[in-house]
Amino acid sequence: MNCQVDHTTAANTTYDAVIVGSGVSGSIIAKELSDNGFHVLVLEAGPGHEFTVPAYQQYLERFYAAPTKDNNSPYPENSNAPMPRSPDTRKLQPGETDGSSYLVQKGPLAIDSTYTRVVGGTTMHWEAKALRMLPQDFEMRSRFGVGLDWPLGYQQLAPYYRKAEFELGVSADVEDQNYLGMDFGDDYVFPMRRMPPSYLDKMLARNLDGTEVVLDGETYSLAIRSTPQARNGIPNPGYDNGRGYTPVGAVSVHPAEEGGRCQGNINCTPICPVQAKYSAKKTLAKALATGRVDLLAQTVASRVHVGPDGRVSHIEYKAYRDPSSSEHTTGTVRGRIFVLAANAVENARLMLASGLPGRSGLIGRNLMDHAYLLTWGLTPEIAGSLRGTQCTSGIEDLRGGPFRRRQAAFRVGVHNDGWGWATGSPYTDLDEFVDKQNAFGAALRHKLVDRLSRQVLLACMVEALPEPSNRITVEGGYKDSLGNLRPIVSYGISDYTMAGVSCARQLSRRLYQRLGAEDCTTYSPIDYGYVSYQGDGYVIRGGNHWAGTHVMGDARNHSVVDWRQRSWDHENLYLVGAGSMPTIGTANTTLTLSALSFLSAKHMVRELKQHQATTTAAANS
Amino acid sequence: MSNGAENLQDFLAFSSFVTGFPLFRLRGTGQAEPYLSTVVKVVGDGTTRELLSRFRAIQTESGDDVTAMEASLRARILSDERLGPIARNIIKLWYIGTWYQLPAAWRDAFGVLEHDSTFVVSPAAYTEGLLWPAVGANPPGAKGPGYGTWAEPPRFPDVP
Amino acid sequence: MSLRKITSIAELHKYLHAALQLEHATIPPYLTALYSLSPGTNSDAARVLRVVIVEEMLHLTLAANMLNAVGGSPELTRPGFVPQYPTRLPDGETDFEVGIQAFSREALETFLKIERPARSPEEGSGFVRRPRSEGAVLPTFMHDDDTEMHFYSIGEFYHEIGRGLKSLHEEMSARGENLFSGDPSRQITPDFYYSGGGEIIPVVDLDSALEAIRLISEQGEGIGGAIYDYEGEISHYYRFQQLVLGRYYQKGDEADQPSGEPIAVDWGSAYPVKRNARLDDYPRNSELHAAAVRFGTDYQALLGTLTQAFNGEPGLLEAAVGEMFRIKESALQLIRNPIPGMDGVNAAPVFDVRSSEGGDHE
Repeated sequence: MNCQVDHTTAANTTYDAVIVGSGVSGSIIAKELSDNGFHVLVLEAGPGHEFTVPAYQQYLERFYAAPTKDNNSPYPENSNAPMPRSPDTRKLQPGETDGSSYLVQKGPLAIDSTYTRVVGGTTMHWEAKALRMLPQDFEMRSRFGVGLDWPLGYQQLAPYYRKAEFELGVSADVEDQNYLGMDFGDDYVFPMRRMPPSYLDKMLARNLDGTEVVLDGETYSLAIRSTPQARNGIPNPGYDNGRGYTPVGAVSVHPAEEGGRCQGNINCTPICPVQAKYSAKKTLAKALATGRVDLLAQTVASRVHVGPDGRVSHIEYKAYRDPSSSEHTTGTVRGRIFVLAANAVENARLMLASGLPGRSGLIGRNLMDHAYLLTWGLTPEIAGSLRGTQCTSGIEDLRGGPFRRRQAAFRVGVHNDGWGWATGSPYTDLDEFVDKQNAFGAALRHKLVDRLSRQVLLACMVEALPEPSNRITVEGGYKDSLGNLRPIVSYGISDYTMAGVSCARQLSRRLYQRLGAEDCTTYSPIDYGYVSYQGDGYVIRGGNHWAGTHVMGDARNHSVVDWRQRSWDHENLYLVGAGSMPTIGTANTTLTLSALSFLSAKHMVRELKQHQATTTAAANS
Repeated sequence: MSNGAENLQDFLAFSSFVTGFPLFRLRGTGQAEPYLSTVVKVVGDGTTRELLSRFRAIQTESGDDVTAMEASLRARILSDERLGPIARNIIKLWYIGTWYQLPAAWRDAFGVLEHDSTFVVSPAAYTEGLLWPAVGANPPGAKGPGYGTWAEPPRFPDVP
Repeated sequence: MSLRKITSIAELHKYLHAALQLEHATIPPYLTALYSLSPGTNSDAARVLRVVIVEEMLHLTLAANMLNAVGGSPELTRPGFVPQYPTRLPDGETDFEVGIQAFSREALETFLKIERPARSPEEGSGFVRRPRSEGAVLPTFMHDDDTEMHFYSIGEFYHEIGRGLKSLHEEMSARGENLFSGDPSRQITPDFYYSGGGEIIPVVDLDSALEAIRLISEQGEGIGGAIYDYEGEISHYYRFQQLVLGRYYQKGDEADQPSGEPIAVDWGSAYPVKRNARLDDYPRNSELHAAAVRFGTDYQALLGTLTQAFNGEPGLLEAAVGEMFRIKESALQLIRNPIPGMDGVNAAPVFDVRSSEGGDHE
């Protein structure tokens, strides 16, 4: 694949666009711009530029051989473009700063969210839930008096959601998804049919559908509902007015015949072995196939330079050959427009490290992530846990409602993969049976079936609001091995979110009661995610949905980018991704940031075309 | 090891008894040889032989009496301060392909061994872990059972 | 079984049944070679074999669609449908043996013969006059003078199906009848079948039937023996050849001279499985014997599910996928087990347990 350019050639080229980051935002924008004839350079800090199945296989083998199978375990250790890893998270004492790993944690709460710095970005490890945000999520301030309003609404974003659902290849049925005001348009069907609900989902639906919850005087009736996912299922023949949809399989220069359809490997995160799950590499491969996109991997953008006119003049980089050596070269790249698509943490980090905090002072602030409260139990009968994709269904009915004036909304994901996220199961269960219960032989096998096949984990994903005190900063003392400043995170959870957490815990108790399941949930005060709220203790996990560090808005003093994700301060600079989102509601951020990328790309194309017209006119006069 | 084949047979017999999986299933993982050499590499040839010959003696003495054999295994291997933790590690090897570092108390009493750290024997050792088939599932990231199979009730293999 | 030139729907049904049997016959040898590879080795070879198998499954399904389209009913479970290995396939003037064995150079040579582009030297001479070899997959062809003829190649066999379809269609159309009168709801459509190995073609008329034949022939042999097929994919013959020559083809290459990336094949890294294993190779009452019987029974059950799916219940293909994955696991376990008493020889799956033990093969 024609993807590699050398640094000298790149340095001597003025690109139409320079994109920092090859994740989903960067890849979509690269594809859209190159489809329109523009010449694009993509800088990627991490390795992974091979578009072959054997290269992907190496990720898989690394995952198999890793004693700790965390989100980033398939991806190589790389001190030149380090990534946060959940096992690095430590409990923070009040006032303590933990700088022992890449992500410096200032607290008060330690956050275990991660992202992935390889070609394809965090979509290499994402779970691929692809929910749209609700119409009300865009109007939190005007409807509920909390958070921020977006400068655009659901209806404006809807056509771009469609593009994103095509690009990511979403499997879902509209009949399941048109709740809480989400309008899909009369004729719409998703590219592929919904993933079949798991045996566990069906057991839960039988017992839990119709459960009523009263919040602020309103009654909500709950249902177990199929979750949209960016993973290959059965194409819907009715898609695109009957033209159908062809799933995109494994990224490969040789025919691989893989990734056609999900096989139920129960390992969406951190790596789908057959690439049935969408990753940005699928989009990037299409972009590279235009022949107008150059990719420089192992090239870390280190500084954004602004000229006297306020426009970005060039980006400085540090390029390394060997991830285990800090030996590197530096250089600069130029373009008509610049796009930072390095995720909410790294975008903010790069701007701040470049001495560009912005006139609004908001770069790095309003950091958001979904707060996950995990609850877990044992179903009374065999539930066939540990099979399928990680989640096929959830409870969505409390994603919206008037109660959002007072407390956070949340959704409940039903996990098919057992208690692993919460307890380290099945490894911890095996240890317990062998080391503590002294079981062996047939007795051990019976215990394993009895424990593991009845596991249910309800992951309550609770919304967070933009809070200026939650933020990314940089300081001179914290640098990585290339000398780039590391991100420092200050993070706490508001009472608004905790009220949602507490409500979610109470609901999960009722659900287990109704199921007749044993509620095995416990929260340890020594856990790094432990939070006390109104006399009860909870453990909060991160959702890896970093957002808000360069929020969009209507006014330059109160936002970093406009509704096109263009910087208010630097007119040829776009900061894209979840960092632009003023609120995150209860949808995983990827589908929305993909839709935003399509929207922004459209405006970039317009801008570049205008520029072309002006230069042509100037040349002709 | 001077008599590899014989040791392998003893290792398989012991492994089958402590894991609850028949010999065919153990061999079917393709991991018998790598696991035996892992044990030998970590705890040494002598200790491995000692464990296996003790098991052979238990087997011979117990005849067909499974209850007696289990009691004897507990008394003479699983509760043995030196061999017990190794035996438990062998169970875990078969189930998840990981050798766990021996407990601190073991290391204090019998010394630190050069190769005794927590590691996955090989990528294939992980994917061949018996824990998942034991519960009617597949090891995460491998051996996907096929589109839509998760909607059906689970199937568990018979426990002998 | 012997065939005559296709002049009736009954003859056409016989041919299409033979096509089903033929497309299936290559699957056990390919699967066994694939499963015999030691884990962690030969990933290129594994991928090449996998791609070909997926496409053979597509061909099997296409043959079922053709048979359904002309009012037949596919049947994969009758005795003898699974050939007794070694079996024989035509290769021009002679037959060659196709057996079940571990991945090896020799196995690859056989696979190349299976997929070799071989049209008869001159038009209309797609048959060879010689006696039938025992265990041949393709039926013989009875000449008008009642002498036994053989298809020159698999390509000639499909050529005759295409010719027969066209002439029957013309004849029947002239009489106001429709050859393609099969119930369209019995067709396997992309709703039910997705493999990545090419798109399934529902067969409803002459055009779609010829399209199905074209796809089967070209995926195997390329267009007129060229490297690439109509979809621009490398044909099976050249895919396998890449392994033998140790290099991938890339666009612009001439036949037999791939110039793409090198492929490292470790010919020694395969389990030493028993060639053409039969049930009585395994000691009676052993775990191994029981496992082999279980495999064979499950394989028959899979063929049963496919038969049902091809007879009006296409939704069952989803269940069949699950069965295939389970069968793969059982095969891998057999292949890793040494056969007691046979030094250094491992077990292999037995695909037809009914004919494999005692008794006569039909």
